[in-house]
Order: sequence, then C-alpha cells, then structure tokens
Amino acid sequence: MKSKSLSVLAVASAAGLFLAGCASTEAETTTPAATQTTTTTTTEAAGSMLDSVIAAGSVRCGTRDALPGFAVLNDSGEHVGFDSDFCRVIAAAVLGDANAVEMIDLETADRFTALQSGAIDVLVRNTTWTATRDGSEGANFLQPTFYDGQGMMVASDSGYSKISAMDGAIICVAKGTTTEGNAALESSRLGLNWEIRSFDETDLILEAFLAGQCDGWSSDVSQLTGLRSAYPNGSDALTILPEVFSKEPLAPAVLDGDTAWAQAVNWAILATIQAEEFGITSANVDSIRDTTTDVGILRFLGAEVPGSDGAAVLDPNLSLPTDFAYQVVKQVGNYGEIFARHLTPLGLDRGLNSLWNDGGILYAPPYR
Amino acid sequence: MSPQLSTPSKVPFFRDIRTLKWALQILALLAVFAMFYWLYGNYQENVAKSSIQTDLRFLDNPANFTIPGNDLDQSQPVRDAFVEGFLNTLRVAFIGIALATILGTLIGIARLSKNFMVRTLGTVYVELVRNLPLLLLLTFMNLAVVLQAFPRIENAWLPLDLFVVSNRGIAIPWFIGSPAQLGIGILSAALLAFVVAKIRIRQADKTGKQDRAWLVGIATFVFLVVLIWLLFGYGWELPYVDGRGTTGGLRLDPSFFALVASLVIYTSSHIAEIVRGSILAVSRGQGEAADAIALSGSQKMRLIILPQAFRIAMPALGNQYLNLIKNSSLGATISYFELTQIAQITVGNGSPAVPAFSLTLLVYLAISLVTSLVVNFFNRRLALVER
Amino acid sequence: MITWMRRNLFRSITDTILTVISGSILGYVIFQVFQFVFITGRWEIIQVNLKILLVGRFPEELMFLVGFSILATCFSIASLASGMNRPIDQPPTLAGKLWGLFQRFGLIIATSAFLIVLAGDMAAVLFGAYVVLSIFAGRLFGIARRNTPLKRLPGWLWVAINATLPLVLIFLTMGQAALEEWGGFLINFYLAVVSIALSFPLGVMLALGRRSTLPLLRWLSTAYIELIRGAPLFVLLLLAGVALEFFIPASIAPDAIFRAVTVFTLFTAAYLAEVIRGGLQSIPKGQAEAGKALGLSTFRITFLITLPQALRNVIPAQIGQFISLFKDTTLAGVALSVFDLLNVGTAITKQDDYLGQGLIYESLAFVGLLFWVGSYVMSRESQRIEKKLGVGIR
Repeated sequence: MKSKSLSVLAVASAAGLFLAGCASTEAETTTPAATQTTTTTTTEAAGSMLDSVIAAGSVRCGTRDALPGFAVLNDSGEHVGFDSDFCRVIAAAVLGDANAVEMIDLETADRFTALQSGAIDVLVRNTTWTATRDGSEGANFLQPTFYDGQGMMVASDSGYSKISAMDGAIICVAKGTTTEGNAALESSRLGLNWEIRSFDETDLILEAFLAGQCDGWSSDVSQLTGLRSAYPNGSDALTILPEVFSKEPLAPAVLDGDTAWAQAVNWAILATIQAEEFGITSANVDSIRDTTTDVGILRFLGAEVPGSDGAAVLDPNLSLPTDFAYQVVKQVGNYGEIFARHLTPLGLDRGLNSLWNDGGILYAPPYR
Repeated sequence: MSPQLSTPSKVPFFRDIRTLKWALQILALLAVFAMFYWLYGNYQENVAKSSIQTDLRFLDNPANFTIPGNDLDQSQPVRDAFVEGFLNTLRVAFIGIALATILGTLIGIARLSKNFMVRTLGTVYVELVRNLPLLLLLTFMNLAVVLQAFPRIENAWLPLDLFVVSNRGIAIPWFIGSPAQLGIGILSAALLAFVVAKIRIRQADKTGKQDRAWLVGIATFVFLVVLIWLLFGYGWELPYVDGRGTTGGLRLDPSFFALVASLVIYTSSHIAEIVRGSILAVSRGQGEAADAIALSGSQKMRLIILPQAFRIAMPALGNQYLNLIKNSSLGATISYFELTQIAQITVGNGSPAVPAFSLTLLVYLAISLVTSLVVNFFNRRLALVER
Repeated sequence: MITWMRRNLFRSITDTILTVISGSILGYVIFQVFQFVFITGRWEIIQVNLKILLVGRFPEELMFLVGFSILATCFSIASLASGMNRPIDQPPTLAGKLWGLFQRFGLIIATSAFLIVLAGDMAAVLFGAYVVLSIFAGRLFGIARRNTPLKRLPGWLWVAINATLPLVLIFLTMGQAALEEWGGFLINFYLAVVSIALSFPLGVMLALGRRSTLPLLRWLSTAYIELIRGAPLFVLLLLAGVALEFFIPASIAPDAIFRAVTVFTLFTAAYLAEVIRGGLQSIPKGQAEAGKALGLSTFRITFLITLPQALRNVIPAQIGQFISLFKDTTLAGVALSVFDLLNVGTAITKQDDYLGQGLIYESLAFVGLLFWVGSYVMSRESQRIEKKLGVGIR
C-alpha cells in the first residue's frame, strides 16, 4: 500500500520535474526571437527603434496572411501583396536590403497590442488612421499607403442596387474594426435600421454570407474587391455597390514618441510616391541615375550633385542612408509599380490613389 | 525560582514555533507582494511607454457599434453596451439553467429506468455528450445546424405556422404589450396560484386526502393568465416572413439559439449524472417504504425520491450552474453579443485591453458569487426542511 | 428472452409507449449515423488532410520523433500497468483476459485501426505493428519486474525509469521543431499534458495552503482558488492573448503556446487544489495523530502520511480534471489562434477544393471522434481505478 502511494507520488513529481524542464528548454528553443527582443529593449532605453532595427538587421513588420491583394501567403510560404511590399520598402530604405523583413501575422484585435508591447517595429496591416487610434492606442500614423473608403457588397441576385434600398438588412462586418462604427453611423444616418453582426474572422463572415445569413458584407472597398475575387461561387456572384460611405486612409503606424524611426518609415513610403512622380521605376532607375542631369532626381537618388564647391550628396539628416530612395525603387519599385503588381489584377482603379497631378491625392513633400 | 525562569533552556526566538510560523507567513505574503509589485511595475512601465489608459474612463466614450435585436444607439457610451451585454449573459444563463435542469433531470431519471430502451437512450446521450468539448458542440450548432441545416429565409420552415425557422433566427409567437405588463401579470398570477396551492396542501395535510395541490396550482396559474389576458385585452401575434426577415412575434437570434442549445445539451449531460447519482444515494428504504404504501411509480419519484435527491444534488448542481454561466462567454466565438463579445469589440475599437477585460472578469466573478449565494440559500432551506 | 422483454420493455401500457418512442428515436439515430458514416459521408476530406489534423504542419523529417514518443509512451504505460499489478486472487482465463482487454482498450484499438485505414499506406501499417510490439515489450519488462530479475528494484526508481523514457522523447521532440509548426491533435494533447504536469505542484501547494493552520497562508490560497474558479477560462485566455505582454518584461516575448500553457496551468491548479483538498479532508484525523505520536514533524506527517493517501484517494477526480482540461484545450484555438484540432477541422472545410460543400459534418465528426475516444477511455479507466481503490466502499 505504502510503496504504491509512494510510486504514484514519484510518477507525479517526476512528470512535473521533466515537464518543467521541457518548458524551460522550450523557452530556449525560441531564442532567435527572444534574443532579438532583448537587444531591442536594451537599446530602446538608449535610443530609437531605428537603432535597434539596424542592430537586429531586420524589420519586424506586423502584417496579415490572408487578405488577397494586400498580404497573402504564397505556395512557398512568402508574404505577397501591397502591404507586404511596403514592409519591404521600409527594410530597403533602412537596411538597404528589401528581404531583411520578418513578417509577423497579427489578428485584427491584437494589432495595436503588438505595437504597444514592442513585438513589432511597424504595423502595415491595412489599418485606418483615426483620431482615437492616433491618440489613445499609443500609435503614430504615417503617410497613408492607400486611400480607401467603406463600401457594401451584396449577392448579385439579391436585387439590391444601392445602399439606401437596404432597409432592415443584416450587415456582416469584422469584429473590432472601424467598419462596425461606420456601418452603424450610416444606418442611423439613412434611417435604414440595419442589424449589424460582427464576426471574428473573414472566414466566418464568408461562411455566414454563403449560407445567406447576411444581406450585405461591409468593409473597405479594397478588401471587398479582394474577397470578391476569391469568392468560391465566382466573383460574378457578388456585386460591390457604387456608394462609399467613409474615409479610410490606410496608413502604417509606429509606436508614439519615436521621431527618428517615424521619420525613417515615413520617408521610405514617400520615396515610392516621389519616384513615380519622377517617372523612376525599378527597371530604369540605374540608367536614369547614370544619365540624368536633373538635380532634383540626382538628389533624390542620393547621387552626387555638381555644385559650386564640388560634387556633393544631399544628406537631409533623416537618419536614413543617403541612397535609400535608390534602394527602395531598385529593390521594390515605385508606388505605381507596387499598385500595378498587386491591386490592379484585383480590378481596383487608382482613383484617389493617383498622383496629385493625375487627379489623385498622392503628394510627396519636395526632397531638397 | 527566578533564575530558573530565565534559564538558557528557553527557546530562542528564532526557533520559537510561533515566530517561525509568522515568519513563514510573512515570507509568503512578501513573496506574493513582490510578485504583484513586479507585475504591476512591468505594467506601469509598458503602459507609460505608449500612453495607454489604465482607468475606466473608456466607459464614457461612444460605443461606435450596435447590438442586434437592441435599440442601443452607436453614440451611446461603452458603459451602456456593457450593461446590455451583461443582460444578454443573464438571459442565456437563466434560460440555459432552466432548460438544462429540466432536460438533465429527465435524462437522469431515464438512466435509472426499468425500461431497457429508455435506459439505453439516456446512457447513449450522456456518454456521447459528456465526452465532447463544449466548443465542438457550439461550433457544430453554429456551422452545421444553423448555417447548413436551417433553410435560408426564402424557404423558411414554418412548423404549425406558429414559428418561422431559418438561418436568420427562430421567430416565435409573442404577446403584444410591454415587458413590464407581462412581468407583472405573470408574477401576480404565479403568486395567487402559489397561495392556492399552499391552501390545498394544508387542507390535504389536515384531511389526509390525496392532494393534487401543484396540479391545481398550475391550473390556477394558467386560468389567471388567460383571465388577465382576456380582461385587459392583450393580444399576441404570429411571426411571418417579410421579405428578408420576419415580422411579428419574438425573434431569437441564431447565435442565441446556437449558444443556448449547446449549453443546455452539454450541461444537461452533466446534470443527468448528478441526478442519477443523487437518486442512487437516496437510501433504498425510502423507495421500499413508498412501494409498501402502494404509491405509484410517478408518485414515488415525485413525492419521495426526487425531493430528497435534489437535497443531495444541490451543491453539485450549483457548480454546474456556475459552469454554465461561465461557459456562456463562449458566445463571443459565434458573435452572440454577451459580455465577452462586448469587451472584445470595444477593445478592438480602441478601449484599453487590461481595464476592459478586468472589468469583464469582475462582472463574471460577481455573477458567480451571487449564484453561489443563491444556491447556498436554497441548500440551507432544503436542509432545514429535513428536520 | 420473452420474460426479459416483458420485464424490461413491456411492463405496462405506459412502459410500452415509452419503449416504442425511445426505441424509434434510438433506431432513427442509429440509422442516420450508419447512413452518414457508410453511405452519404464524403470522407476524402479527412483522408487528404489526415496529417494536418493530427500533427499540423509538423516537419516531415522530424516525424520519426513523434513516432518514437508514441512508442515510448505505449511501452511505459504497458510496463507500468503490468509491473505494478499485484497478482490477482484468481487468475482469469485467457478468454476472460481478452474480454477485459477488449473492454478497456477496444475503442482505442478500433480508432487506431481506423486511422491506419484512413492513412492507407504501408508506413502506417508498419507503425501500428511497432506500437503492438512496443506494448508487448513493455509487458515483458513489467513482468520481469514483477517476477524475478528486477524484483529488488525500488519502487520510485522503477517508476522513474518508466516515466523518463517517454518524457525525454517528448521533450526532445518539442526541442526539435519550432512551436509555430505544431498543430492539430498533437497540440491539444501537448497542452493538456504539460499544463496538468505543471499545475500539479501548484495545486498541491494551494490545497495544503488552504488547509493550513496559518491564517495568512490560508487566506491567500483561498483567495486565489476562489478568484480563479469564479472566472471563465475563455476570458482568461483572451486576457492572456492581449494583455500578458503588459505584465512581463518585453524580453520574454510570449508566443501563443506559452500564453495557453500559462493560463491552463494557473486555471487548472485552482481546480486541482480543490480536488486534493477533498482528498485531504477524507483522511481520518487518526493518521496525522499517529504521526504526531511517533514524533514526526508536520512536514513529514504531510508528505509521508496524509498527502500520499489523499492523492491516491482522488486519482479518479484528478483524471476527471485532466479530461476537462483536455477538452478545454480547444478554447486556446479560438482565443489565441493556436492551430489546434478544432481549428484545423473548421479550416479544412474552407480549402479551395471543399469550400461551400457542407463538409463541416464530416470534419467535425472526425474531430469529435478523437476527443470522444480520448475522454471516454480515460473516464472508463478512472471508473475502473475508482472501483479498485474502493474509496467509497470502505
């Protein structure tokens, strides 16, 4: 009797010991991430996130893995899309290597916490810039990469042709996003009495939509376009209504109170816009740099500009390498190229996202 | 004598068992405090780094979302949304507990039936459901039953033409009038019925005649409800399909249905086991005595066995009720707007996570406390009846 | 037969009606299940995704480690079971033995056979054969301990040897593959085993604390236990998902599994403490008094006399706790996006080949089967141990 109870004890304690051992080594197996974060936090006290990114040799970019056009995982496990390319733009500008990115997939509800806790360096995950988020989430929003608006998608055979006709409809949205509030506002503005249901994941909305539990699917038009293109019953089964009822500037965000890092990310993005304005693409950037005499372009690409006291390179003290724009355009491309690569195939127009001299609102401050 | 009192044989204070005991406790307390201090320090540091709120001010911000089946305006404060979520949690809890108790008791009795078929059915139900994760049942109810098996609204099922069943919810006939009127009417009817039943019981006790007190009570209740209904001219309305929704009656949200159904199925399988164990625990002599005075099977169950069984079962039942209430938080996974879902949404919309979820936990804790107080109260009441 | 029927099915008119009603319900359900399993069910979705359901995206080249840990676990359980059994009064006949085995393990064997058939390749068959071999080897090892060669081995060493083997292998497996690659059923099992093992010492401490004569300790333990027991596990997991990083230094950088293990451990410890407290309360006072009479210290009385007996008495309840933890690991899937069996089960119905075909029944049925077999077998074993311990009967 006694020996038996003893052995039971022994099993238990042995199991406890071993599993405790497991747990501690398990923490060790994840060291790549862990050590990296350690270096981040130690340097953080001293300086900017920029220094820690340079020290770590890679940018930790908060993104997602399943939004067609913006960020999806391809067959070989790489992140592909508009947002993913802007992660690469940042890496190319800061580190000179577009591939020095660690893509970290985040749930919608976790994205700000990840930013606040320092688990990511920058958030590029189609996030709308709003005053509350800028103010109370500890996030600092930068140059928007995409000007979007919230729209409504319905089944083509539903007979809805405009939003104001959707009285008493059931509208499905993603949980914890600005779309919930916008839809509620629109409903009360038009007196439509919508029933708004919010779901954890787009997968669940898709399921509910397929089963006919929702009349409308409301989200940013860019997202709707991507989701429509991947709809299992074919994209013709869905219609995106023409009205857009909100302003959704999708912008990257960094942690509040870190000017150097914010500046670096901001100018990396502005460089893609400026490059398009100059007509510089990844294909012609080398030849333009070698042949052009335009001082503005030479400055922008970080080439030597002949001056009165000899040739000089413009260093605006952005804490970026002087050739960052060259690296961005060479390795990733200009804004137009990125857009054409990922969003045009979905059927999205440039629209608002054209250059300012082309009817859009993309406008980069002068580089001088 | 006096030199002996101060002998060196006096235990030094550091080996005095009382000192040691207190030292141990203070050490433990210090360790706990140190841990909390560490956690709190980290929290302060992390929060200060990014200017996040740590208080409950967020409750005054506009909610920015609406709740299905509720006229909460999106400009009302988060506070109101939390209250609404709390009420929804209570709704699920009340209905779930009532249905699970009834179903669980029936199945518990069925498992002890002398009838082989009934017994087998009960056993299969309990063994099947008890060993499945609740979340699996909930997912099944939501994805497989509501979304797949229920028809679209265009070809909704209309059982008896009283209900409208579709994957947009279940509409049931409902009376017209304010909930307060309904509540007062039903309450007063129930009170009167209770008094009538009590009088009948007293009479039965005096005369020793067979009583049907509770039957009479229920009859009185129904009669009174109908009477009030007719007198005050309440009506009721049937739901019907109207375009892409239903009009009239009371519409139950599909997620409400899925949540309540899976909670009831899961909890009833546990309650059935408790009821079965308690019935077995009622001493055999009680049943034999009932047989000896020639009570019928149902009388024996109703009057002799079950009252005693419930006395035994009460603490365990209370635990199951608590579990059901806590498990109702899973409603958030299928988009039912209860407390947890509200917390998740408002955190996603910019409310600070730690205060919002702490508040949620506190509310659950309060519900648990009140529930266990109520269960304890009944427990004591039942125990007193025995003597 | 007819008497049996009359007695059990048709005692009276009401009884007959009940028989007919419940019989038809039962018949209908059985018919539906049969039809679903053998005729209408389209099981290729399970067949194609079998690996991802069982182990997630676990790297192919490390699969042998998982295999070895399973073999080692089977070996150890078999050797412990046969090594610790004291000879029974009347040795049962071979047929009786087989029947007992069938009752206890038939379900597991059938499920394993089913999985092998689903996998449908030679490797799976071979692996099944290895499992059987390792069980036999374990039995031989156990019998060797019970009879001659290893008889003088002390009990704790014997248990330690048997526990070390699988745990070392499991631990090796975990060390090899990155945690993000884990998934499927393996993760549910892993979460449950690790959490219960970690929560055990904490639970014992809390139980002792709650029964302590020292008021401060008692209050602290009681407060912890009641606070945790009043909170829903799901909300705790959500809180850990968004807020854990606020409370620990950023250098720890918890991943989802770490969060899940933390919450499950802290949560289970409170419940385990109550179970163990129940066991401690069931020990007669005389035991501790006898210890005192022998001049043992409180520490020794607790750890040598009362606690071992208490733990032994509540083994069934501890298994019950393990079962509910095993089922609750699914919550980590929704709260922390861990790629657990239930998550995989719903995700595979959204693959391009299967989307919108209503295959959720097939996939949830398979997920349910694995959970059900696991919980059912464990609860049956727990009932068997309960009977063997005879706790309630003495």
